[in-house]
Amino acid sequence: MKSPLHIAKQQDLDALGIEAAGKNTARDGLVSVLGEMSRSTRALSVMLDTCTKCGNCAEQCHSYLGTRDPHNVPAARADLMRRVYKRHFTLAGKSLGRFVGASACDDETIERWLTYFYQCNECRRCAVFCPFGIDTAEITIAARHILSRLGIVPKFMQGVAANLQNTGNNMGIGKPALIDCVEFIEEEMKEETGLDIKIPVDQPCSDILYVPSSADFFTNVDTMIGAAKIFHVLGANWTISSSALEAANFGLLFNLSIMRQHGQRLREAAAAVGASLVVHGECGHGWRAALMCTESASTPVPYRLQHVLDYACENLSRLPLSKLPLRVTLHDPCNYARAGGIVEQPREVLRACVEEFVEMTPNRRENFCCGGGSGLLMDEMMDIRLKLGQKKAEQVKAVGPLDYLAIPCSICKAQMPHVLKHNGMQALEMGGVLDLVGKALNLGGTKA
Amino acid sequence: MSVDSVETVHLELDEDGFLCDPQTWNEQAVEALARLEDIDELTDGHWKVIHFLRDYHRQFGIAPMVRKLCKETGFTLQEIYTMFPSGPAKGACKLAGLPKPTGCV
Repeated sequence: MKSPLHIAKQQDLDALGIEAAGKNTARDGLVSVLGEMSRSTRALSVMLDTCTKCGNCAEQCHSYLGTRDPHNVPAARADLMRRVYKRHFTLAGKSLGRFVGASACDDETIERWLTYFYQCNECRRCAVFCPFGIDTAEITIAARHILSRLGIVPKFMQGVAANLQNTGNNMGIGKPALIDCVEFIEEEMKEETGLDIKIPVDQPCSDILYVPSSADFFTNVDTMIGAAKIFHVLGANWTISSSALEAANFGLLFNLSIMRQHGQRLREAAAAVGASLVVHGECGHGWRAALMCTESASTPVPYRLQHVLDYACENLSRLPLSKLPLRVTLHDPCNYARAGGIVEQPREVLRACVEEFVEMTPNRRENFCCGGGSGLLMDEMMDIRLKLGQKKAEQVKAVGPLDYLAIPCSICKAQMPHVLKHNGMQALEMGGVLDLVGKALNLGGTKA
Repeated sequence: MSVDSVETVHLELDEDGFLCDPQTWNEQAVEALARLEDIDELTDGHWKVIHFLRDYHRQFGIAPMVRKLCKETGFTLQEIYTMFPSGPAKGACKLAGLPKPTGCV
């Protein structure tokens, strides 16, 4: 099948400064960047050398289960890269070719890479079940990076990266707009609680830099309100930064140089306000990029890095919470549960905020992706996104009656309404974990 | 009432169906875009939302927070969805001639 993705124009990619690969053809470029990456990233070459085609991964991948397209079996997806790698970079592949599953890169290879590496959510569930621990997400990340070097980038990714370059956040929120948003949210909190709860912007000499998802200033306002109330009640000296208002890091999802630039942007923002602690908001892949990719990309960071749900959990005994009369389940964002060590903290926080917390099955590191992971939020991908979200919908349905679905990641928050609506569950309320913390906190205000 | 002639409007749209050039926005464009969004009739409510979006975008360069849009226009989110079936970020912004909001939306 041909990918429905809208592809960015070359002039718009040039503005992002992505280094082009290969002087002759895209095929040469692909082979040359793959060679660079397999030499410099040991994990990639080990994973490309290792697969035994045991087939364990097939039934564990929601992308294959939802589409039943054999190219979406993780081992088959990885093979799109593996066969080119073998042909050009292994002795067996160079001498025995197709007998050892090696084949040269042709135009169809590039088309298939675009189609199938953009049907992988980089969720890493296959890696949990692979006897060798082969992580298809790493292969997909490499493949999308290589495609970007060939000038092949979804328009959606390019648009996000352009906003990030211009404003420091995905949504393109400049400082005057941010101030307007902050004033509006402060008024909302005043109306609700009667208290002056501030969201400081670019405040120098702050102990904590809070890095929210920029979607918290568009659709997910209650998530930002939850964070602001936590800092308020703890008496924290905190700020957000107008130059780095973004926990997401889409570079991880299509171009690694852009990922490093955003890592550097966060580092500079932390230095500008003097923060010794950087707290990341509700964003899955951005947490992964900050936690796993910052140090090697931009040298060790001179501050402590913490996820906001870990921060809330650590301070739980100091948060005056009253349990809300709700039955709630948690969707584990892939990058928290399989890549970021945020597993028990959201559960502890939820148990303190609601009367009934129930698990969906499977959960924690075996949880299924929402189907939007790795930035697959394009409208033109909707049919595929709904198929990728099928396992998740079945999981939610199996929990039985619910008042709230906690989905503490902005990509999940953008994807899940479509998935639930498609499966007849549009009435179910959903949002972040912080949203519930904000509602459960007793702040002692006149209206509390 | 009979309609003698149907005016044709030529609009240049991007792949997402948004105006390529925001300068080409006018009331006729809104009517044409409404048909593409399966909106049968443009009411005063539609225009109130459209004008608020345009004013906010002119001042701040982005679409307003969805909650602010609801509060300032007096419509609930459900009412906005009824008026603009593809939602505030897509349908409403499209008719208002704004760029498509991007990121995790």
